[in-house]
Amino acid sequence: MKAKKLKRWTGFDTVVTVLAILAVAITLYPMVYVVSASISDPISVMAGNVVLFPVGFSLDAYRIVVANMDFWRSMLNSVLYVIVGCVLMFLTTVLVAYPLTRPNLKFRKILTYYLLIPMYFSGGMIPAFLVVSNLGLYDSPLALILPGCYSIWNIILCRTFMASLPTEMIDSALIDGSDQFRTLLKIVLPLSKPVIAVIMIYTIVGVWNSWFNASIYTTREEIQPVQLYLRHILSAASSSLQSRFLEQLPPEVRQGYQQMAVSANQIKYAMIVITTVPIIAVYPMFQKHFTKGIMLGSLKG
Amino acid sequence: MMAIPLILIFLFSYLPMFGIIIAFQDYVAGRPFFGEGVTWVGLKWFREFVGSFYFPRILRNTIVLNVMQLCFGFCVPILFALLVNEIRLRKFKKITQTVSYLPYFLSAVVVAGMVISFIENDGIITQMLRAIGFEAKSLNANPGAFPWIYTLTTIWQGFGWSSIIYLSTISAIDPGLYEAASVDGAGRIRKIWHITIPAMLPLIIIQLIMSIGNMLAANTDLILLLYNSSTYKTADVIGTYVYRETLMGGRYSYGTASGLLMSIMSFVLTYMANAVCRKKTEYSMW
Repeated sequence: MKAKKLKRWTGFDTVVTVLAILAVAITLYPMVYVVSASISDPISVMAGNVVLFPVGFSLDAYRIVVANMDFWRSMLNSVLYVIVGCVLMFLTTVLVAYPLTRPNLKFRKILTYYLLIPMYFSGGMIPAFLVVSNLGLYDSPLALILPGCYSIWNIILCRTFMASLPTEMIDSALIDGSDQFRTLLKIVLPLSKPVIAVIMIYTIVGVWNSWFNASIYTTREEIQPVQLYLRHILSAASSSLQSRFLEQLPPEVRQGYQQMAVSANQIKYAMIVITTVPIIAVYPMFQKHFTKGIMLGSLKG
Repeated sequence: MMAIPLILIFLFSYLPMFGIIIAFQDYVAGRPFFGEGVTWVGLKWFREFVGSFYFPRILRNTIVLNVMQLCFGFCVPILFALLVNEIRLRKFKKITQTVSYLPYFLSAVVVAGMVISFIENDGIITQMLRAIGFEAKSLNANPGAFPWIYTLTTIWQGFGWSSIIYLSTISAIDPGLYEAASVDGAGRIRKIWHITIPAMLPLIIIQLIMSIGNMLAANTDLILLLYNSSTYKTADVIGTYVYRETLMGGRYSYGTASGLLMSIMSFVLTYMANAVCRKKTEYSMW
């Protein structure tokens, strides 16, 4: 009787469902619109006929973007930044986090303070900029890699996780003659997979989405990441945008496109879609690990 | 091996802290922060910034954006968490959550680019406003619209993500409380009101203190991408001002001083918010 009462669908459930559907719709709508507009018939887009679903079908905007070499170079740059960023993030995190869990570490207290102070104080945008340029990194790919290749938050997260591993296992390995490196490699790291996965996913998303440092530390287009390229395109005037993209097409193809006049907004939307695909690809992985990550985050060290 | 990361931390976290010293100097680009040839100017840059036309404008804009965020944005994740918690269909609950987190992972460039293309003259939002009878021109160049656009954008991008922390608090509530309330004849709304919300209250208060303490901080990243010279009037905040003044204008000492002044004010505000809260309630951050 009681269980039946709990399971009954009430008016309250209907209200909850409607509101939840509304929230989902509002969240998804801008993204659906961008995808729809990017694959619709250009004339319908310009006439404002696309509201939710694609009207007509045309991949012209994608053809134009894909033919653009600057775009591919910036994508490649971003992929490289992500790979290098992940490797360095992994190393800087693990190489500090693991020693911090060992009981025989010297100067532990000083080290802890050394890590804590930058979490509360920072020099701010300009001093950071001046340090990077005085180190001679201005306009070098290293300016985009080094300042962001460590995260004290990640170090503390990782240390907390590693400290929760059974110490007996690590100690017995050390007694059996394994040195610190082998122990780290063979025992601690395999057990720390969950926390490392979380850190890597955050790093991938963070590096892929970053643009601000590139905009202040670099001027050369050859080394700029895709988000900064995207920013230039998105803020460019529509007329200059069309010519910029059309110039890159082979002459015989260009003729055809000039007549079709793909709208500048469609080019923007197509680029948004292409640059977001990698994030959407990482998202399911993230889904799997993030509850753990949140839980780890709440276990402050 | 541990030394390499520690050196990197020194270079990119500690050296900039020493660099703050240039706020009291007449710094010339390329010079070291200390040593000979440094001209000390005391508080000259601070006085110039406080006396400038920009100081009141930046302060007002920052406070307006944060108050709007607090009024409209603060409760959205809380309400959303309550809503999600009431969904009984497991699958649907999961889908709702998954979708709501997604915008958080889009880059600021993409989000701002989408928003701007929607509010331009031929953008979808402008068209919709026109369809329901507004005399809507491009919202992009309208200073009055900027705070709304900024607030709605940040809510859209962050509400799902911010709800996680509330949801985890809700999931920690003892189910026995709900059962006891059901036995006593409480309906679902009463259970929300008398069990769920009180359980969330400490967290809500801490989040509120943090928002008030952050009253002088703003999402520089997003504003830089969303604003343009016709909306500076309502969009300019300290980060964007320092960005233009220093990185475009080369006034390093002045920019550092203005940034430092705002950080100090912000710190004092956080401290005060926490102190007031500790006195009035039993909750506080530290």
